Amino acid sequence: MSVSNLLKVSDTRRVSPTRKGITPCGVTKIKVASVGFFYIQGSDYLNIITVEHLNKIFKTKVKKEGFRQSVRSILRPQYKTVKAVSDIGFSVQKGEMLAFIGPNGAGKSTTIKMLTGILYPTSGTIDVLGMNPVNDRMKLSFRIGSVFGQKSQLWFHLPPGDSFKLLGSIFEIPARELRKRISFLRELFEIEDLMDIPVRKLSLGQRIRCEIAGSLLHRPDIIFLDEPTIGLDVVVKQKIRDLVKRLNREEDVTIFLTSHDVGDIEQLCKRAIIINNGEIVLDESIKKIKYNYLKKKVIDVKYSENIDLKLDIPSMTIVKAKDYSAKIEVDISSGTIEEAVDKLMRVGSVMDINISDQPLEEIISDIYQGLCNP
Amino acid sequence: MLMEARKYLRLIKDYFLLNLSAAMEYRASFIIQVLGMALNNAFFLFFWWIVFNNTGNIGNYSFRHVMTIWAIASSAFGAAFILFGNTRNISNLIVQGELDVYLLQPKNVLINVICSRSSAASWGDLLYGFIVFFAVYGFNPGKLMLFTLFVVSGALFITSMLIIAHSFTFRMGNSSNIANAVLEFLISFSIYPEDIFKGYIKFIIYSVLPAGFITFFPLRIMNEFKPVMLLALLLINTAYFITAFIIFYRGLKKYESGNLITTRM
Repeated sequence: MSVSNLLKVSDTRRVSPTRKGITPCGVTKIKVASVGFFYIQGSDYLNIITVEHLNKIFKTKVKKEGFRQSVRSILRPQYKTVKAVSDIGFSVQKGEMLAFIGPNGAGKSTTIKMLTGILYPTSGTIDVLGMNPVNDRMKLSFRIGSVFGQKSQLWFHLPPGDSFKLLGSIFEIPARELRKRISFLRELFEIEDLMDIPVRKLSLGQRIRCEIAGSLLHRPDIIFLDEPTIGLDVVVKQKIRDLVKRLNREEDVTIFLTSHDVGDIEQLCKRAIIINNGEIVLDESIKKIKYNYLKKKVIDVKYSENIDLKLDIPSMTIVKAKDYSAKIEVDISSGTIEEAVDKLMRVGSVMDINISDQPLEEIISDIYQGLCNP
Repeated sequence: MLMEARKYLRLIKDYFLLNLSAAMEYRASFIIQVLGMALNNAFFLFFWWIVFNNTGNIGNYSFRHVMTIWAIASSAFGAAFILFGNTRNISNLIVQGELDVYLLQPKNVLINVICSRSSAASWGDLLYGFIVFFAVYGFNPGKLMLFTLFVVSGALFITSMLIIAHSFTFRMGNSSNIANAVLEFLISFSIYPEDIFKGYIKFIIYSVLPAGFITFFPLRIMNEFKPVMLLALLLINTAYFITAFIIFYRGLKKYESGNLITTRM
C-alpha cells in the first residue's frame, strides 16, 4: 500500500508532518497523533491533491441563426458535447504554491470547480486532503478556502464585518476564536478601516483583500485563487501577492492559483501546470520552463548617431527601431548571440547594449500556441 | 441529528438578522415596501366586503371564511419570502453560476441558498395576515397556535413548489417563467372560496399545485378541529418538502456553473 493511500484512510487532520520532515536521505518523519512517529521513504505522503484521469464533458444545446432555426430548436433540439477537461492528472504537495494556467476556455476553472466539489466530474478520480470532493463536499469545505475574482461571498449592502460574522457561523467557528481570527486577519490584510463600510462602497482592491481575508477565517489548508488580481492596479496587485506569500510562509497554506497575470505566477509560484483545450500540455518548475522553452533573447541597443537599421541575418528580427535605439529579437535556436551582437556593433557606434531573456509572458504565450518545443 | 437541526436553525436566524440589517440600510424603502404590501392586501379585502354585502355567502363561504383564507395566504406567502426569500432566485443562481458560493460552504446547499436572502416587502404580507386573524378571531390562543402552524405549513408548501419549478432550470436552461406561473397559480387559487372550483381544478389544487393545502384544508381544521386532519396536513407538507429536496439534488448533479461577474446583494 502506498503511503498516500495509507494516510487517506485516516483523519488527515491528525497527521501532520514535522516542520522539516524530509531528511537529506529522503526519509520522512511524520507524527500521527496518539500513535507516535513514523519514518517513511520518499515524500509521496505530502501530496494533498491527487488527480487521475479526470474528464469533464458538457452537453451544450446548439442553434443556428435565424427565427426558423429557433422554432426548430424547440421542436428538435440539437446538442453537442464539449470536452472541457480531458484525461488530466497531477498532484500538489503540502505548502506548494502552484500556478494552474492556460488561455481562456482551457479548462482551468472547470478543474478548480471539480477539485472544490462545485462540479461533478464525468470520470476520473480526485483526492483532496484525503477526501473525494463529490462525496465529502461539506467536510472538505471546512478545510479549503477559495477566492473567485469574479464572484463575491461578501454581502454587497453590508460591511465586511457583518459578512465575516455570518461566514463564522456558516463555518461553525466558536465566537471567541472567530473574534481572534478576525482581529488577526484585519491586521494582516490592513482592512481595519474597512470593516464598517458597506462592501458596495469599497474599491475593487479593498474588496478583494476583504474577500481573501473572508476565505481564510476557517484556517483552510488549501486556498484556491481564481484570478485574484483581475482588474487591480499594479500597487494593489503587489500587495495581494505579498499577502499570499506571507500566508504560505506563516500558515503553511497550499496555494492553487490561476491567473492570466504572469507577474502573479513569476512572483508566487515555483511550479506551473499549463492546460490548453482541456489537456495538460506542461507540468514543470518555472525555472525549467524558462530554461527549456527559452528560444529567444532580446537585445536593446542605443547608438550615438541616427541609424538606418537593416538586418540580413534570418535569426534576427527588429521589434522596434527609432532614431538612435532599437530592440531586436534573436532566435537562439537558429543563430547565436555572438553573431547578433557582432552585427549590431558593425551598424554604428554603440553607446549602450542590454541583452535579456524573452519575457515569461511570451514564453507561456508560445506554449499556448504550440510554438514552443523543448 | 438534533445538533444538526440546531445548527441549521441558528444559521436561519443569522441569515434572518443579516438580511434584516441589509433591509434597514435603506430604511425609507423598507417601510414603504411593508406598508405598501399591507395596503395592497387591504384593498382586496375591501373588495370582498363589497361583494359579500351584495351577494351574501358564496357556496359555504362567508366573508369571515374569506378573511381567514386571506389571512393564512398572506402570512404564509410573507413567511415564505422572509425566511426563504432566495427561493424565487434559484433559476438565476443556476443560470449565472452563482450556486458556486454556496457549494463552497459546509452547509446543505438548498437550505443555504433559500435562507440567504429575505424580501423586505413580505413583512407587510406577514403582519397583515396576523392583523386580519385578530380582527376575525380576537385573542384566541388555541386558534392563534393553529393559525401560526398553518402559516408555517403554507410557507413550506409554497417554498417546496417553487424549489421544484426552479429546479427544472438544471435540465431546461431557465424555468423561472414556469416558477412565476406556479407562484401566480398558488396565489390565485388559494385566496378565492374553495366552492367555486370543481372537477379537474379541484384535483389539481390538491395535487400538482397544492393551493388547497395552503388555505382551504387549514380552514376546515380551523372550523372543526380534527387531529387526524392536522396530522395528514403535516405529513403531506413533509412529503412535498422532501420531494422538492430530491428534485433539487438530482438537478444539482447537472449544474454547469459559469463565469459571470457577480456580487451578493
